[in-house]
Amino acid sequence: MSPLLRVLQDEVQIVALSFLGIVYVLKLLWIFRFPHRTERTFAAGSARAGVQSSLMNVLMPWQMESTRSDPVFYVQFALFHAGVLAAIALSFIVPYAPGLLVGHGVRPVMLATLIAALMIGLGRLARRIRRPGLRLISTPDDYLSLVLTIVFFATAALLLAAPADWGEGPAIAFFALTALFLVYVPFSKVCHYLYYPFTRIFLGHTLGHRGVVARRARVDAEGI
Amino acid sequence: MRPEEDRVDIDRILSLPLETGSQEKAAGQSLPSVGRGDLMTYDAAQNNPGRFADLVRRKLNRSLVASLEACVHCGLCADSCHYALARPDDPRMVPAYKADQVRRMYKRIVGWTGRLVPGLVHAKRPASDEDLNRLKNVVFGTCSACRRCTMNCPMGVENAAIVRFARGILADLGIVPEGVFNVSRDQWESGNQMGVSEQDYLETIDWVKEELQAETGDPSIDLPVDVEGCDFMYTINPREVKFDPRSLANAAKIFKLAGESWTLPRWGWDQTNFGLFSGDDRLGGFVARNAYEAAERLKAKRIVISECGHGYRSTRWEGYNWAGYDQKLPTESVVVTIQRYIREGRITVDPSRNPDPVTFHDSCNIARSGDLIAQPRWVLRRVCSDFREMHPNGRENYCCTGGSGLLSMAEYRPLRLEVARIKAEQLKATGAKVLCTMCHNCIDGLNDVVKHYRLDMKVVQVMDLVAGALVAPE
Repeated sequence: MSPLLRVLQDEVQIVALSFLGIVYVLKLLWIFRFPHRTERTFAAGSARAGVQSSLMNVLMPWQMESTRSDPVFYVQFALFHAGVLAAIALSFIVPYAPGLLVGHGVRPVMLATLIAALMIGLGRLARRIRRPGLRLISTPDDYLSLVLTIVFFATAALLLAAPADWGEGPAIAFFALTALFLVYVPFSKVCHYLYYPFTRIFLGHTLGHRGVVARRARVDAEGI
Repeated sequence: MRPEEDRVDIDRILSLPLETGSQEKAAGQSLPSVGRGDLMTYDAAQNNPGRFADLVRRKLNRSLVASLEACVHCGLCADSCHYALARPDDPRMVPAYKADQVRRMYKRIVGWTGRLVPGLVHAKRPASDEDLNRLKNVVFGTCSACRRCTMNCPMGVENAAIVRFARGILADLGIVPEGVFNVSRDQWESGNQMGVSEQDYLETIDWVKEELQAETGDPSIDLPVDVEGCDFMYTINPREVKFDPRSLANAAKIFKLAGESWTLPRWGWDQTNFGLFSGDDRLGGFVARNAYEAAERLKAKRIVISECGHGYRSTRWEGYNWAGYDQKLPTESVVVTIQRYIREGRITVDPSRNPDPVTFHDSCNIARSGDLIAQPRWVLRRVCSDFREMHPNGRENYCCTGGSGLLSMAEYRPLRLEVARIKAEQLKATGAKVLCTMCHNCIDGLNDVVKHYRLDMKVVQVMDLVAGALVAPE
């Protein structure tokens, strides 16, 4: 292994990951600086159940009309995010647990997931460019984030699929891109997963507390 | 259905100028609400873009920041918005686009990336009052804040809350449609959104009582005012005093048959709340507090809210938070009260007295932002012989198209009626002859849809059908 690849897949990743972690912590502290509304009403339902339901919403495509009526979009969503997970996992497996890629079918499953995610990513890019509504709301960050993710999938797939005689090129490309990605992510829309718990918890809390979901039977009998 | 000829020029809507005639008149009259700084008027000499930025910083809260940050521009919201569905070729109708008109300003003023590299996320401050006026037309004119898109957003982004946030800031700058200003003025000045004076209020109640006594032949039937220690205080929509006293009469008749002890308050009777629509939490808190304090003063055991979507949401849910007033009394919709009467056998109803096919329209503010979906259906199945659902329904129902105060903004009416095509198609598919809702606002919104699209339907409220099905005791 060349010194470049060794540093790229270890020290550089750790520095980039630390940077991402620090920015995330700062962002979380920043969000918590904003005031949070105190709820002063009697509950008609369970806020906790509402939060649980809201957070699990991502696993229940039948809950939302948008995913219920377009299951293909939901499957694409699931595979795309599985690809992200696979690529991230790869950035840890290769330097720290390369043995996992030998046998057990891990490599082909990861490769298939990454290729599927890559195709879906390209489809999403085309969709974003083709649809006037999406084009209008898309910012340069939307395109850049998507393109970076697509390239991330491509380099990850290449790293898994490339024959040994290709040398270290695919690995260097993958780890260089991963480091770049880690630095860019906190400032891009890719970090939407940082906000996901917040939006879902706030929405679920309201819906649960009000009994839109998880309504208490007692409420109908006695009033609130 | 009406043909394509009704298509509205959206550029014209987005460039509608700010009308300030009513504001100038109010300032000229030195209205107390203007003098106190409760009702804000437009001042072109001020640095309004700068004030906008200050207000954004001051009014943001945690859930708004999350919603402003979390949108990934996936575009799924377009599939759930009746504006976007009715105008699929118009990208400016996509909910994310509307929210983005606020978001881009937020990003430039507060956001991290937007302040560092504005071009990357289309972050942009409002540069002039013209920009703010355009924002006014977007947030007041192209969204009914129905929250349907939120229910269908994988991230749970509250576009309607973002729209309301912008409305509230614009209200603080006096950059609002004239109708919004006028209704806010009336509610600040008179405590009710139709400017009904106490004398008119009390005279109408007397008149309803006399009519009811004559109609039923029962001289003991009453609409009590300011009676202490009743089981509940009844709050109503000013429309019931001004335009539709029938619903007040229906309520009095039903309460009498149920042997209820109830009262109307002399002050604090308006359960509607324009603060919800204008985004002005101070107005919202003022109006809601009037009702809560009236109930406390009258030592009522409960607050009951007549049929009104935004009134229910405001009085039952948002008002306590706006007013900073901890809920002390049970607060319920009159439909829940009626449900209790029927369940306990306090009134008897005969569904055969309402034989026509009936469908039910869920008010957005009650089904999506409140908590009542099963209750009105429970009642309707007992007072109508042919109840049929519209699809979608419940918390997925489409807006009546008149929500979020749009009925008071005449300049946006043509667009509202054009996009009402989605609602009209939904209604027509039911084959119902009677369209029932539990919201005065929806009554007007739906009547517009029925008339514009020439649907053969009569629009009524739950109480109308209950009153029609009542069986008088022997």
